[in-house]
Amino acid sequence: MPFQIIINIIVFASIYLLIGYSFSLVYNTSKFFNLSHAGFLVLAPYLLYLFYKILLIELTLSIIISVILILIISHIVNNNVFVRLKARSSNTLILLISSLGLYIIIESLISIFFGTEKKLLRSPEIKNIYEISNGFITLINIFSVVSSILLLTISSIIIGFSRFGLKIKSVINNESLAKIYGINIKKISNISFVIGSGLVGLSGILVAFDTGMTPTMGFNLLLYGVVAMIIGGVGSTWGLVGGAILLATAQHLTAYYIDSKWMDAIAYIILILFLIWKPLGFSGKRLKKIEI
Amino acid sequence: MEYLLHIAIMILLYIMLSQSLVIVAGYSGMISLAHAGFYGIGAYTTALLSVKLGFPFLVNLPIAIIISGLIAFIISTIALRTVDDYFIIITLGIQVVIFSLMNNLMEVTNGPLGIPGIPAIKIFGFWFDSKISFLLLALALAVLIYFILRYITKSPFGLVLKGLSEDEIFTKSLGKNVYAAKVISFTIGAMLAAIPGVLYAHYVTYIDPTSFTVDESIFIFAIVIIGGMRSLLGAALAAAFLVILPEALRFVGMPNNIAANMRQIIYGGILVFMMFRYSKGFIVKSQDK
Repeated sequence: MPFQIIINIIVFASIYLLIGYSFSLVYNTSKFFNLSHAGFLVLAPYLLYLFYKILLIELTLSIIISVILILIISHIVNNNVFVRLKARSSNTLILLISSLGLYIIIESLISIFFGTEKKLLRSPEIKNIYEISNGFITLINIFSVVSSILLLTISSIIIGFSRFGLKIKSVINNESLAKIYGINIKKISNISFVIGSGLVGLSGILVAFDTGMTPTMGFNLLLYGVVAMIIGGVGSTWGLVGGAILLATAQHLTAYYIDSKWMDAIAYIILILFLIWKPLGFSGKRLKKIEI
Repeated sequence: MEYLLHIAIMILLYIMLSQSLVIVAGYSGMISLAHAGFYGIGAYTTALLSVKLGFPFLVNLPIAIIISGLIAFIISTIALRTVDDYFIIITLGIQVVIFSLMNNLMEVTNGPLGIPGIPAIKIFGFWFDSKISFLLLALALAVLIYFILRYITKSPFGLVLKGLSEDEIFTKSLGKNVYAAKVISFTIGAMLAAIPGVLYAHYVTYIDPTSFTVDESIFIFAIVIIGGMRSLLGAALAAAFLVILPEALRFVGMPNNIAANMRQIIYGGILVFMMFRYSKGFIVKSQDK
């Protein structure tokens, strides 16, 4: 197996990991499959495109502005749709469908304003390629691996060791008990929602720097993150790491030995196989959803 | 006039599609986003059979229905191990797998290039090649599907489906085989979805995988939701509304690509809005009636 595949696996696994992590942050605290996450994933790079390429603001500043905008927009969306729906005691299915509706709206708005053709954030020719024992890696790839691992470590440390993280963990673990101990569940899940959206926006920016962006790219990428989350076992960070690596490995081995056009299909075939033989993922946390 | 007939035919196709999803999503409570996949299976089956083997429409239609049903049966026995949001993710996965098969199996389906030159429908020597005759054929089949579904939903089996979508464990405790009922309902839905697929292929005479994407599945599902989940007539009205909408927007003077996106925004907005209406769950609605 050439070294190039290992590089590709690492690059893609880190992206899936970041997407899956941000998604599970929202899923674990808000308890529903938030498909509008895919909308924030695409919205962030397009906002960056607006500031960086059209308004010609400096790169770091435009990244900061776009992420802050994502935080604000996701806060508004969450407060006006999901929190209100939850206040009417809707079940998870209702929330999922409304998030699907929101995703459609975000995607179509982007298509109207920016067009559907592929947009690039970097210059078209690929610069700064490094060679590591017959494998090639671009500077952008290195940057994206490093920054997603960094973001993941920082957020894990915050959740693992701070007082705020303890609150998040308690909401994930047992919502009603957390409520009894005086934790403001609404506030905690709102903050997790906003942080998750910000993280997924950043991962969207990383993807867009590498391969460019289209308004429809979010859905597939998000589903890869979800697949990684499900095969890793919901609620386990190490399981997620394993799931992301497994997914990326399977995809790139398929691309190398069969054909790259089957990469989409293989992700879902793995998901379906897992749901047949190991419905709880390999970390095996019990979930009522799977069996009645 | 031709243009109006074309819109009427498209409305009928979407009515059939949404009606076949009503029994799956509305009556059995299984939100499936793989419906465009079965629509595509119907279209591809008839396209391949009639272009490569020269089979007539009356042979293709049952074969397409059976193939779609078989695939749905195999898929649903697996996918129905999960419920609710996991089931949706699985059906999304199935949709993507079916799409990649259409898109990538170059030798069989001709990939993204699609299959051109699908002949018009010929039944007992009569060619349905004019729009008006095709419209009548589609109308006949739509009415047939409507009555089949009406019969099923009013039958004791329909009652089991209603029961399991409202309380699965309770229905189980009454001695009903919930799992089998779900599999059967999913399979029926897929079989019926193949019919508009067959019609579509013969109508446009050229098919490619882009007509059967996830977006199409979401669109069909949106029709069902807007129609009121369990209402066959509601789904028909919603289909008419959503098909006419972009044409109306174009008529107002909106450019083509913006009109398509505006339709998406409008039905996305309606989805969110409808969820507020259904926020207590889809079940409460049926008890009101």
